[in-house]
Amino acid sequence: MTRARRRNGARPWLAAGILDARLLAGLLAGLLAGLLAVLLVGVLACAPASKTRTIVFWQFWAADVVTPLLAEFEREHPGWKVQMEQLTWQSGREKITAAVASGKVPDLCELGSTWMPRMLASGQLTDWSGGVGDLRPQLRGWELCSTGDRVFGIPWVMGTRALFYNKALFARAGLDSTRPPETWEELHQAAAAIQQLGGDARGFGVQAGERYVLFKKFMPFAWGNGGRILSDDLATSAFDSPQNVDALVYYLSLRKVGMLERQDMLDRAFREGRLGLQISGAWLFRSIAKEAPGLRYGVALVPRPDRERGFHASFAGGEVLVSFAAAKEKEGALALARFLARPENAQALAAAAQSVQPATIGADTSAYYRERPNERLMIEQFETAVPTPNHPAWDDLEAVIEDEVEQALYDRKSAAQAVADAHRRIAERIAKR
Amino acid sequence: MSATIHRSGAAHGSRATAWAFLSPWVIAFGLFGLFPFAFSLAASFTDYSPIRAGGASFVGLANYARALSDPAFWSALGNTAFFVVGTIPFTTTLALALALAVQPAFRGRTLFRVGFFVPSVVSVVVLSLVFKGLYASNGALDGVLRALGLTPPAWLLDPRTALPAIMAMDVWSASGYYMIIFLAGLEAIPRELYDAARLEGASRRAQLAHITLPLLRPTLLFVLVVNTVRSLQIFAEVFVMTRGGPLHSTTTVVYYLYEEAFYRFNLGYASAVAYLLFLITLALAWVQMKTVRPAGPEAR
Repeated sequence: MTRARRRNGARPWLAAGILDARLLAGLLAGLLAGLLAVLLVGVLACAPASKTRTIVFWQFWAADVVTPLLAEFEREHPGWKVQMEQLTWQSGREKITAAVASGKVPDLCELGSTWMPRMLASGQLTDWSGGVGDLRPQLRGWELCSTGDRVFGIPWVMGTRALFYNKALFARAGLDSTRPPETWEELHQAAAAIQQLGGDARGFGVQAGERYVLFKKFMPFAWGNGGRILSDDLATSAFDSPQNVDALVYYLSLRKVGMLERQDMLDRAFREGRLGLQISGAWLFRSIAKEAPGLRYGVALVPRPDRERGFHASFAGGEVLVSFAAAKEKEGALALARFLARPENAQALAAAAQSVQPATIGADTSAYYRERPNERLMIEQFETAVPTPNHPAWDDLEAVIEDEVEQALYDRKSAAQAVADAHRRIAERIAKR
Repeated sequence: MSATIHRSGAAHGSRATAWAFLSPWVIAFGLFGLFPFAFSLAASFTDYSPIRAGGASFVGLANYARALSDPAFWSALGNTAFFVVGTIPFTTTLALALALAVQPAFRGRTLFRVGFFVPSVVSVVVLSLVFKGLYASNGALDGVLRALGLTPPAWLLDPRTALPAIMAMDVWSASGYYMIIFLAGLEAIPRELYDAARLEGASRRAQLAHITLPLLRPTLLFVLVVNTVRSLQIFAEVFVMTRGGPLHSTTTVVYYLYEEAFYRFNLGYASAVAYLLFLITLALAWVQMKTVRPAGPEAR
């Protein structure tokens, strides 16, 4: 006993009899064997059991929305199996970035349209020009995933912004709730009338205080007024124009007949019946149905400058299906993308998600949209919506416009100064490229 | 001779056993600690962009020079410094006060301890969402202020109040964690010292000043260093509540480098910003250790 203790002096757990050497060796051997077994099972599980090939698909929609479509694809394409992974809007961008950086990319991936300019410039996407020609007359939104004649994705579902208005507040303010504002002046008058009701009621919701949203709120007024961001060849800034200044002056004037808030708070105020008008997206349909089913509201095109001038512009965004140059199953990816973009499948997703519309041309004539005029209006709005320029530095340019518009919103600059400064900074960013 | 070989074999076996037990941690540390550290350090000297095909080029110290000449970086650093200076004294004082309040035995002590500690184990994202609602116009806080006849500010929309609003949340949520650390420090102080002081007629204030606080210096140092490192890395609260706005008033260094890395894909530049923050953190921790480190033989 004494000798054993001396021998194990350097290993007190052995000396104390907690473990003896044989038991320890057995434990370690067992652990090693277990690890090897797990590795073996993993390798066997990954090995192709038959001729079935797997398409790895990353997307953002809830699994219960997309899984039935994928099951249908597998039934229709017996040689393919889809391994779907649901990304979150909070961390999806980081995950995709890391995947591209490491070269371990999914075969098919859903990308938001605002991410596309950088991705298109990166050279990391698969050129699908030869495989989607027949789809071009059937879908809208190709400009979101194309550079020149080359196509790097398939438009799946579209999203835009329209004018939401509260019919009950319209009635209380003495406005005709069947006639939403169509021009800037009518919008201002309606917002002013509701603001004058007092209490909790606010006229127009002006978004502020957070990034990546303000651009989509201000630019519809600028675009509708004939304003632009870049020249056609994307080589020079075209931001410093009287049209953009007028649009910003008008947008700033809406602060006096409304409330300044973040988008989620504006949406909440609208659902609670406190906000008369705001520009928002189709996600409101779902949240209103869930949280404020009794709300009397309507949806209209974003007002244009006046009846003789401009157009009902909005932001054209959407979700695009792409494959990466490093993807293993490009053929399967294209087959799955084409399947998902079919009118009935895009429609099924749009109906389940209630926050987007199919990219299919003529989707508004379907029975689904005939019964839902508010949702159908989003498709109508998309027809006059403007996509962002596919410039490689688009993220920077968007940030510059938001910075300057925000400076004007907080009265740090005049509208003219903000537009001029945005123009100068955009020109600098473009020159750097 | 035989004994020497035996000892050498035993020592060898002991080392092997130690490595066998340590290896999971060593491997994990190498893979998830050392490798990213070395990779990001190397990336900080390049124009690395994760989405650009064709690799990265060596740019020397250009990323560091760009950061130091970028007003946006200095603005973010200023906001971060304001956050650190504006939260650490409050968090530390509140944590110490809470620890002193819940240390003595009294009925319901555990309930109070748990109550104060709970916010620090709740996800920052959840807390941020709750506070976002609390600070909203027509939120609970505005309701209370209006009931008191006050006009509430637009908490997260006003560039003057947005960062202080986030700081207030941070002080509230972090104090409980540091309270537990202070409690551990308080429990380690020998009771005999207080008994002797009482016998000598020392008041409670004198006991606090001459026994509690001096003997809590190692704990205080730990709290200050850990809290400073954490506060310099403030990110999730900003990401959830304001996304750096309004007017960049809540853009902290980590949020700034996040935008550079994941929105503009300038990972090389973002890495350089991260290392500048690392150097600042190191310098601050060193200053704190020099100024707060307890005197005496234990300190060496």
